[in-house]
Amino acid sequence: MRTVAPGVDSYAEAYRVHRAFDYILVFIFITLLTGIHHLHAMLSVGDWTFWTDWKDRRWWLFVIPLSSLVFPVVGQYILWQHCRVPFGATLMVVCLLLGQWIDRVNNFAGWVYYPLNFVWPGTLLPSAIILDLVLMFTNSYVLTAVLGAWSWGILFYPSQWYMLGAFHLPVDYHGVLMSIADVQGFEYIRTGTPEYIRIIEKGTLRTFGQDVTPVSAFFCAFACILVYFVFNQFAKLVASVKFIKGRI
Amino acid sequence: MSATTQAVAQYQADQAKPILTSFKGIINGAHWLFGVAFITLMYVAVRIYEQVFAWTKGLDSFSMEFQTYWMSLFYAEVAVGAIAAFGIWGYLWKTRDRHLDQLEPMEEIRRHFKLLVWLACYTYAVYWAARYFAEQDGAWHQTVIRDSDFTPSHIILFYLSFPVYIILGIGSWLYARTRLPQFAEGISLPHTIAVVGPFLILPNVGLNEWGHTFWFMEELFSAPLHWGFVTLSWTGLALGGLMLQLMYRLIQLTNFEAEDITNEPMPHHHNMVD
Repeated sequence: MRTVAPGVDSYAEAYRVHRAFDYILVFIFITLLTGIHHLHAMLSVGDWTFWTDWKDRRWWLFVIPLSSLVFPVVGQYILWQHCRVPFGATLMVVCLLLGQWIDRVNNFAGWVYYPLNFVWPGTLLPSAIILDLVLMFTNSYVLTAVLGAWSWGILFYPSQWYMLGAFHLPVDYHGVLMSIADVQGFEYIRTGTPEYIRIIEKGTLRTFGQDVTPVSAFFCAFACILVYFVFNQFAKLVASVKFIKGRI
Repeated sequence: MSATTQAVAQYQADQAKPILTSFKGIINGAHWLFGVAFITLMYVAVRIYEQVFAWTKGLDSFSMEFQTYWMSLFYAEVAVGAIAAFGIWGYLWKTRDRHLDQLEPMEEIRRHFKLLVWLACYTYAVYWAARYFAEQDGAWHQTVIRDSDFTPSHIILFYLSFPVYIILGIGSWLYARTRLPQFAEGISLPHTIAVVGPFLILPNVGLNEWGHTFWFMEELFSAPLHWGFVTLSWTGLALGGLMLQLMYRLIQLTNFEAEDITNEPMPHHHNMVD
């Protein structure tokens, strides 16, 4: 084991080193998390974030909160467990939103010319704030999983309503009753359109009428509890500070 | 008692000093700025190229202009990427420090920040690849039916933006391994995961393209064929563990009240109720 003297000899020097570390750390975290969280979201549940007509009342409010919980759980663990920073989940969601908005404006609207009001992403900020608050006040991952992750799932749909409401207004389209979101979808035929017809608004839950939305949200909230526990354990692996002795 | 009084006096004297005047001597901001500016300028140029030539020359891979404007770019990317990779990695290995046991603590602090600059460039390259060009690929393929594995968006995403972050990621690993004592004595588990995992996204392109030869997967961007990318994106989170390793070592190296410093075990919090 190597023994050396300290690299600095005063509080001021130590302070400068720590502040320099903080600044570059913020840059690294924001760029990294914006990148990989966005990749995770777009390839696991991207279709539901891309298009207004995919923002349905059964799959959308189930798959988006469920998949999008993975990174906030890990962010919470790393920042809270090791640094006592209480906004890990919110940071993850802000990074995701930043990436999504830059790309929708620049590429979906700027390169392949869809209107922005057809390709806007939802928001998870209210859910993330609640998740962080529960961990901060309870200091317990178990309670955060049960109360926080459950709230994360259940709050998703109400969080979107002020953005989505206008697109659910009814329209008489050539004698067929449709929503504005549906009209947008049929106006812009995409390679995803066949899957839209196969997946969206299908199934026996239609017979439940207005109950579909709360049932889906309630099931999602339950599933989020399980996701929280699983990825809380995964976070322990990626937050490992181990050095493996030996050669490659 | 007098020692405590002396320490308090020293602390107060240090507090009175202007402490945020400069980070000079700790971190080389010019390297950081150069790396970020280089990546930004390169990708802005690429984005303009896409805007001009994707719709006009990139729709039919059997056409002559596709070969000229897009396949030529692909061959150039592969050639330059290979040269840059082996040049940079070879340089880092060739110029490795063979006397790490004699490394001065202040120099070790500076090298930690050089590693952080490598990592900042790495994550910035990941940001462009995983966020910008990956979703752009989704936008393109939801709009234009592909007739080749080498579509305009793939030529940028897979064969330019992926190699760039791989070169920087492996570069950061080699830098740490050859210039920092802790990383030379043992292999950092989180650093290795955070570099190898995102690197494997490039080989996973093989699976992706193989799957696309069977069916038009762009009908569903979140199709299971794409979940290999999803799982590998999780490995980037291991940079959190690496940052903790660096943070704990810097805390040790800046503990100016200590007589001497060893590679002590990392601190760990046990006050959770879980």
